[in-house]
Amino acid sequence: MRSFYRGAAYAIAALVFVQAAAIAFGVFGLGRWVEDGGVLDKAAMESDDTPFPEVAGFIVHGINGQMVIPLVAIVLLVVSFFARIPGGVRWAATIVLLIAAQVLLGMFGHGAPFLGLLHGANALLIFSAAVFAARRVGGHHTSTGEPAAVATDPGR
Amino acid sequence: MAPRPRARPLFACLATVIVLAPLAWFWYASLVPDSYSVMDMGHADRTGGHHHGTRSVDTLTVDPGLAADVRVTLTARAERFALASGRWVRGYTLNGTSPGPVIRATQGQLVEVALVNESVEEGTTLHWHGVDVPNAADGVAGVTQDAVAPGRSHTYRFFADRAGTYWYHAHQFSHEQVRRGLFGAVVIAPRAPAGPVTAPDPGPAAADHLALVHRYDGVRTVDGRSGDVPVPADPGGTVRVRVVNTDNGPMNVWTVGGPYRVVAVDGTEVHEPSPVTGEAVLVTAGGRVDLELVVPAGGARVELGGDTALLLTPPGGTAPAGTAAPRRLLDLLSYGTPAPTGLDPARVTREFAYDIGRRPGFLDGRPGLWWTINGRMFPDMPMFHVTEGDVVRFRISNHSGEVHPMHLHGHHALVVSRDGDPATGSPWWIDSLNVADGESYDIVFLADNPGVWADHCHNLPHATQGLVGHLLYDGVSTPYRIGGGGTANRPE
Repeated sequence: MRSFYRGAAYAIAALVFVQAAAIAFGVFGLGRWVEDGGVLDKAAMESDDTPFPEVAGFIVHGINGQMVIPLVAIVLLVVSFFARIPGGVRWAATIVLLIAAQVLLGMFGHGAPFLGLLHGANALLIFSAAVFAARRVGGHHTSTGEPAAVATDPGR
Repeated sequence: MAPRPRARPLFACLATVIVLAPLAWFWYASLVPDSYSVMDMGHADRTGGHHHGTRSVDTLTVDPGLAADVRVTLTARAERFALASGRWVRGYTLNGTSPGPVIRATQGQLVEVALVNESVEEGTTLHWHGVDVPNAADGVAGVTQDAVAPGRSHTYRFFADRAGTYWYHAHQFSHEQVRRGLFGAVVIAPRAPAGPVTAPDPGPAAADHLALVHRYDGVRTVDGRSGDVPVPADPGGTVRVRVVNTDNGPMNVWTVGGPYRVVAVDGTEVHEPSPVTGEAVLVTAGGRVDLELVVPAGGARVELGGDTALLLTPPGGTAPAGTAAPRRLLDLLSYGTPAPTGLDPARVTREFAYDIGRRPGFLDGRPGLWWTINGRMFPDMPMFHVTEGDVVRFRISNHSGEVHPMHLHGHHALVVSRDGDPATGSPWWIDSLNVADGESYDIVFLADNPGVWADHCHNLPHATQGLVGHLLYDGVSTPYRIGGGGTANRPE
């Protein structure tokens, strides 16, 4: 359970990494497409077509951010109930809340672009919280499995 | 502080249930039955009495004894085809082409269109966007008919009741079939030679040019051509450009080289339109705008958004270069001058709210951020009950963060006000209304076309995400169902 917790927390950090990479990929692709004569307007934005291949970055960002990361966060929270990590539940709950806020910022940012400032900054908070939560598990316990971990951890 | 070791797993299980049970419940509650009728859908929105349906939508037809004036057969195929630009696209055609053939009629004529589905695997239909057809001819799979399976056919009959620019498109898997080519234009000419009574000098008849704008595989086209599309035009002559937006987002249209007038919106003539310069006119998804301009000696461009433009080019001459889009939009709320509408907004007998929002949740088991109407999510969408003869007011408001092109089937509605500001220009009749985030429109229409009518967002992927309500006349019901096996009806 402890290594599962650690794995889920690191997975969130890695997925945030993917988020940052994907959105930059998409925006750069858009830039070059416009340089090459492409025109972005609402009709283009609402089209399901892929005018340039880097659109994949936007799609990955959307699916990853709205589905995959929230799902892993809920798994992390449930695992935290069983994993007996000091502060583990608190950190998992914090990550869930930060991610919920992140999804809402992404959603309402379409109508209020200044929320993008918070969306970008909050990503770093999620990343940091996920790494911090993972590191609370303590590296040398994971390979020995749960009984050993429990045995070395009693009074904490 | 920490629970005793034996109690700990119990607490953990309890906490897990507390976290997961609501999610599981919301997921389960969102599941839509395999097949359902729109009659059972959502919650009834009534402001008056209610009678059970006795008339089937099938009976709401043009008198079958009348002979048609215009007969067309449209054969739908799934195939790879060449656009007018020469580019090859894999999609759908009607009579071998996309856009499909233009259907032309004169006001008052009875139009009969036989749709033959040769090879569209999932079935298809045709909806007559903006033409107030009898309900049986509305073409919405699962509401007014079953989708036409491959090898089958279906006949639509309707009167070309008003002159103007309209279009037809598939209303089965519409978000996919329209995008990939199953659509075409309908142009209805006025009964008598044109010439508004109020115009002092109608001048010679305008040259007529259709501009059906569509994106195929991410490339914007006008009538299948992309980029600058030259159109021969006589200097000094008047050209009417019928712009149809078949895409999912609004587009801006403007001219370079001379002013334009917006002479019709959604098939209804504008009263005393004045010349426009320095402003673009917005054409919402599914909407139509007819522009008129006098061709200058140096030609003119009609910019159609994206990188597509019509170049009205005098013989041997050239058209001016393109310019950036004007930052200002023409406001149709105050464009033109008032005229009698035949509809008294003060005599409203039914009022409905159509309030568009967005929230996280499950849609048929899929988590995401989904549209809401009046705070409820699909399938709990409203069924607006009306009685024939009602004067109906809708207040359509949008705080969902995105624009929605709202389309009411079977009726034309008069825009009365926006954000509380009354309309002061020409009567502004719409069938497709661009409702931007934060906007609120009051529209009024006469309930004079009995049936079950979709009232949905014409950003077609939004419709698949549940942004669909229905207008139901008392005494009418539909035998058709959405979903099910075989050629399942999937209107969106």
